[in-house]
Amino acid sequence: MMEIAINLLIILIKILVILAIALGIGAYLTLVERKVAAHIQRRPGPMVVGWHGLLQPIADGVKLITKEDLFPRYGNRFLYNLALIMALVPAVLVFAVVPFGPPIEIGGREIKPILTDVNVGILLVFGLGSLAVYAIALAGWASNSKYALIGSMRKAGIIISYEVAITFAVMGPLMLAGTLSTFEIVQAQIDQKLWYFWVQPVAFVVYMFSLLAETGRVPFDIQEAEAELVTGFTVEYGGIKFGLFPLVEWYVEVLTLSAIAVVLFFGGWSPINIPFLGFVDPLFFLGPFAPFVWFVLKVALLLLFVLWLHWTLPRYRIDQITAIAWKVMLPLALLNLVITAVIAPLIWR
Amino acid sequence: MVKRVFQRPLNIIERILFIDFIKGLTVTLKQAFRRTITTHYPYEKLTPPKRFRGFLGHKVIDGREPQPAFNEWVERMKIEVRPGSSRCVVCLLCKRACPVPQLFEIEAEKLPNGKRVIGVFNMNLMLCTFCGLCVDACPVDCLFNSDIHETASYSRKDAILDLKALEEIGRDWQRRREKEEDKIWSDDEQRQKLWYENDVSIR
Repeated sequence: MMEIAINLLIILIKILVILAIALGIGAYLTLVERKVAAHIQRRPGPMVVGWHGLLQPIADGVKLITKEDLFPRYGNRFLYNLALIMALVPAVLVFAVVPFGPPIEIGGREIKPILTDVNVGILLVFGLGSLAVYAIALAGWASNSKYALIGSMRKAGIIISYEVAITFAVMGPLMLAGTLSTFEIVQAQIDQKLWYFWVQPVAFVVYMFSLLAETGRVPFDIQEAEAELVTGFTVEYGGIKFGLFPLVEWYVEVLTLSAIAVVLFFGGWSPINIPFLGFVDPLFFLGPFAPFVWFVLKVALLLLFVLWLHWTLPRYRIDQITAIAWKVMLPLALLNLVITAVIAPLIWR
Repeated sequence: MVKRVFQRPLNIIERILFIDFIKGLTVTLKQAFRRTITTHYPYEKLTPPKRFRGFLGHKVIDGREPQPAFNEWVERMKIEVRPGSSRCVVCLLCKRACPVPQLFEIEAEKLPNGKRVIGVFNMNLMLCTFCGLCVDACPVDCLFNSDIHETASYSRKDAILDLKALEEIGRDWQRRREKEEDKIWSDDEQRQKLWYENDVSIR
């Protein structure tokens, strides 16, 4: 009985920590994004609220929460609110299978820094990722606005196209690791002394394209398309409901998919890898914290890369986006799968 | 005839290695680490050039009036010269030059000794377009455009400048910027050349 209670307590603490990380970092990423965008355009970005605008996300949150909650006249209120929940919950839920570091010992009890190490973790990620399409379709439909509907239809088309490509892309690393559990994929990379990025660069490119498309980042932000669609499917949402959609779509989803990319291609919490030889760890002086720092560092770098792309590239047309998905990315992913199947025995040894 | 300009198509290596992406990314990365060029407006303000057309003001009599125009106009309009107050000679040329004349409200005050002095000079800047025609018309270099450009106010009444406000703006200007060199023409050789040395003759 005591054992169950302690386990429940540990899980509760993990949930709270992960929720705080997901939503807190998600909110602060708005500031990061604005700063990155500003400096690329040679502006300083928010500077007034707090030191260099550090309190800006809090000010934005307070402002959004205190705003009037508007609702379109002939919309469907149930679906309108359901869409919000369906967007937020799966995006945050993906964090359940993100491994933050190696197992640690606290009070003689081995704790894995991962909420649930399910043996089909990656499958769960992409299952939950596919749920995002429901949220967007419902948001567009329930808003009773043509802009919202067009935006949601575009986004649904993109997500359905890229779900296929991303699933085939991650099959390469999965084949090399021989497992679907996120924790064991990282462990396999450490055991094989190989980041899968070195042998799966094509899969990584396909994954990055799909990441940008699924999260609606530039160059695939066709569902937003400020100049044509106002802001796409969020146009009829107001106040904090409007704030949550970009928070989920642009920040939490990018964060989760970046974390999964790090797990699949960059060896999770492992230090810098020299293929087949071993690992070089310039952060050895951090002791037991080094793996966690490595993980956070890798995710942060990937995230900054996504922001950097966002503020560099122009937008593709909708037909070009789907053409890239079906005509380029999917064949590339399949080809990569075949090559991986050939070289996999060399890596398993 | 439309001249068609084609970009060189990317070759296969460039396509595979995302060369054009990388080019764009290096540009943005270089920009990201350069100094920002923002003026933090409410905390930092740029000084407008001397010829900037902001709020209007009245220069005051301080011994630097344009001569002999000022003495001639004082004689003609029978103005009593009061050092330290407005140079205005109540000629109404500013009102005549203005495209919206009703924004001026000008009245002279008659003194017991038969001379006159400016009594009321109200300008309703709600109607003003800051075109500067009144400034050009002023024969005694009294009315002028200052560099004060933050014109927001809490009531419409604040937008009406009376004589006291105009004189205050004028004194402020004369203290700060009267002696400053007017740099627009003297600095720019190219511009001077374009203006003075063109061969166009208009008949």
